[in-house]
Amino acid sequence: MAIINPLSAKKVKGGTVENPPSPLLIFAGLVTLSLAALPIAYLVRRATQIDAQSLSIVLFRAKTLEIIFTTLSLALFVALFATALGVGIAWMLNNVALPFLGLIRALVVLPVAIPSYVFTYSWLSLGFLPSGFIAAVVVLTLSTAPYVTLAALAAFKRIDTSQLDVAQTLGLNQFGTFLRVTLPQIRNAVGAGSLIVALYVLSDFGAVSLLGVDTFTRAIQNTYQGSFDRGSAAILALFLVAISSTVISLEIKSRESTVTVKSSVQITKRLPYNNSIRVKLVAAIAIIAYLALALVAPLSVLLYRFFSRVSPLDVTELVNAAFSTITVSILGALIAMLLAIPVAFLAVRGTWIGVWSERAVLLVHALPGIVMGLALVSFGSEFPVIYQTIGLLAFAYSILFLARSVGSIRAAFGKVPLSLTEIAATLGQTRSRTFYRVTLPLAAPGVLTGTLLVFLSAMKELPATLMLRPTGFETLATEIWNNTAIFRFSEAAPYALLLVAIAAIPTFLISRPDRESERGELQ
Amino acid sequence: MKRFLALMSALALTAALAACSSGDGEGSGLLIYSGRSQEFIEPFFAAFTEETGIQIEVRYGDSAALAAQILEEGGNSPADLFLSQDAGALGAVSGANLLAALDPALLGRVAGTYRSPLGDWVAVTGRVRVFAYAPDRVASLPDSVDDLIDPIWKGRIAIAPTNSSFQAFVTAMIQTRGERATENWLNGIKANKPKLYEKNSLIVQAIDAGQVDAGLVNHYYTWEVEEELGREINVKNAFFSPGDLGNLVNVSGVGILSTSTDQDLASQLVDFLLSEEEQKQFVSETHEYSIVLPGLRPDGLPALEEIAAPRVNLAALSDLQRTQNLLIKVGLL
Repeated sequence: MAIINPLSAKKVKGGTVENPPSPLLIFAGLVTLSLAALPIAYLVRRATQIDAQSLSIVLFRAKTLEIIFTTLSLALFVALFATALGVGIAWMLNNVALPFLGLIRALVVLPVAIPSYVFTYSWLSLGFLPSGFIAAVVVLTLSTAPYVTLAALAAFKRIDTSQLDVAQTLGLNQFGTFLRVTLPQIRNAVGAGSLIVALYVLSDFGAVSLLGVDTFTRAIQNTYQGSFDRGSAAILALFLVAISSTVISLEIKSRESTVTVKSSVQITKRLPYNNSIRVKLVAAIAIIAYLALALVAPLSVLLYRFFSRVSPLDVTELVNAAFSTITVSILGALIAMLLAIPVAFLAVRGTWIGVWSERAVLLVHALPGIVMGLALVSFGSEFPVIYQTIGLLAFAYSILFLARSVGSIRAAFGKVPLSLTEIAATLGQTRSRTFYRVTLPLAAPGVLTGTLLVFLSAMKELPATLMLRPTGFETLATEIWNNTAIFRFSEAAPYALLLVAIAAIPTFLISRPDRESERGELQ
Repeated sequence: MKRFLALMSALALTAALAACSSGDGEGSGLLIYSGRSQEFIEPFFAAFTEETGIQIEVRYGDSAALAAQILEEGGNSPADLFLSQDAGALGAVSGANLLAALDPALLGRVAGTYRSPLGDWVAVTGRVRVFAYAPDRVASLPDSVDDLIDPIWKGRIAIAPTNSSFQAFVTAMIQTRGERATENWLNGIKANKPKLYEKNSLIVQAIDAGQVDAGLVNHYYTWEVEEELGREINVKNAFFSPGDLGNLVNVSGVGILSTSTDQDLASQLVDFLLSEEEQKQFVSETHEYSIVLPGLRPDGLPALEEIAAPRVNLAALSDLQRTQNLLIKVGLL
């Protein structure tokens, strides 16, 4: 039996008598919490070093208000549109009998593999994208919708179809059923996806800088660049932290206020696909249009650039950069997995450490990479043994993208039926044995998905990579930067294409049909 | 499962430790933080190593980001030298007392305007602001940046207000004319609805593509864009009248960190970069002006004296806060 509302911690907590989490878990949760607090602590330290005059300039200039407004509206619009787009695509993939479904499923997720600066640059060089706010909404919506698609696809699979049947028996039409039965059931999972999109927009630099939109992340970067004033930059970053915590609380509130009534018997059987020619045609056109805008357009610019290169391809450099990227990103993803498991477990149980760690992890996710980079420069340069090593870089990735992995792992833990852990307990298994032998194996697909998502994000990261990598260590992202910084866009193209090609592998694994229900749920 | 997790932890830990131990760069070499791109500067470092046998490690990054990184590292910086694209980033590091005083003999190689007033950094090359234009669409060239507020330029000019090179130019204007006059000029430019770009190179490309007729950029971008596109472009550089603010000369420069344990070796590198041979290389390879040999100039451009750069305190270009506030006020940032 599947649990319908995995994200509602309270329900699980209140449901049955539970053992308190083991001290080891609590300790592990505390470790993650303090690591996630590291960049925030750095910001507070820098912000308190600012003198009163600079503080009042930052706080009271009219521009700050404007930046708040721009940042919030960009995050809001992109989250809204990306949610609509993502849910729409997921609905079509789930309900319409389209050909090549497996391939389409992987392709619609692939746009997340393109770094936002590459994505934006490609669109700009097509020539018909104007600069400014609307362009940023378009570009960011196209490139982040897959996060929602992924979340919605997983949620659609867990829908209690018996309720759909009831609704239709009672005379509700298809759209009404979607609004009143389907939507409430997928709302939490989709909300988590929308949150990731909003936080992504808050921390994005590539798109907003190229399109000239003044968000906090751009203002922070400009402050470092223009005045080297780390105090003012920290104040701006704390503003960003405040905005992100508002966004996060909003999402958590909506999550808590959602009440889904479960039927006594839940059926999560596959619905028959809609086979009507008209629906199929509309769905096919919609998906082709999305793929054309979000995947074909940027990739064809890259390919065009690739073939118009003047200098020959340096295969050794290309292979080295790919190898470095994969190594350090995998390491970062593994660290993230280890840090995320206790947090996700504690969060799903509704313990305060879990809840606060989860929030801290989400907050850090919205920080611009340059802030994370400088925080770890400040901390790491005290310890020459770890400073500018692959280890510290991987650690930075794991903290920056921990939210991705906590999100999936938490959802996976939420789906583990309590009855099973209770049975294990009745059979005399200790708590830790139950965790390792029942909960973790059942949640394994979610753990894998979360880990792959971190890997995917780490591959694209640039600002923290530039600061924290070992000297001379080139990743695909730094090679792209090396070339674009001096206007060698064509020379950057091979690295960007290879980045997308490598990213396609985890993307395909994540989007694989039935990945979620393979072992995660017992029917 | 437990074993799997334990294995993963062990793996991650050993990998991290291995990664850490391999990253140690202590030795007899130099570590350079370079804001100048690898493509253009690496041949110079290679030549230095070949000549002196001194090994070099280079960390490439954006000049401003590297300056912020050095400020953050403070006394713990592993770097020996900081090579910057512009005077501003050097000024910021110098302002935090993180640069060592340079040998007066080295400082003496360049004119007074092209080195730190504190004697802790020195210019390596010169970069001149120019009026880049499409010759077939611009018939008469402006004499001064002040001509650009004339309505005949409406919608035809491109600038890069977020770029540090443009901001340095505005800072220079504030230094010489004051904030009020600069604001008026910026308002005049804004009234002409300029097209805004993020980078100088994008402006040159836009001129070539016919999206805009002219733009304010650094002089060497025409070469960069030609090399990228692999063809001649429809863009020419022009200078304003001698002494006009539009002809501002900014510099790339170098400083030695006071925490460097290899001050002598670092000095050797500065000496090398300022040597006649390498200065010639800079002019022919990166198309910049030599600061040490005033007669040397990129192909087809007038010498520095003919341009008669306006007198500006380059070291003060690190404080762009006032400039940014002004640009924000005018609505260009």
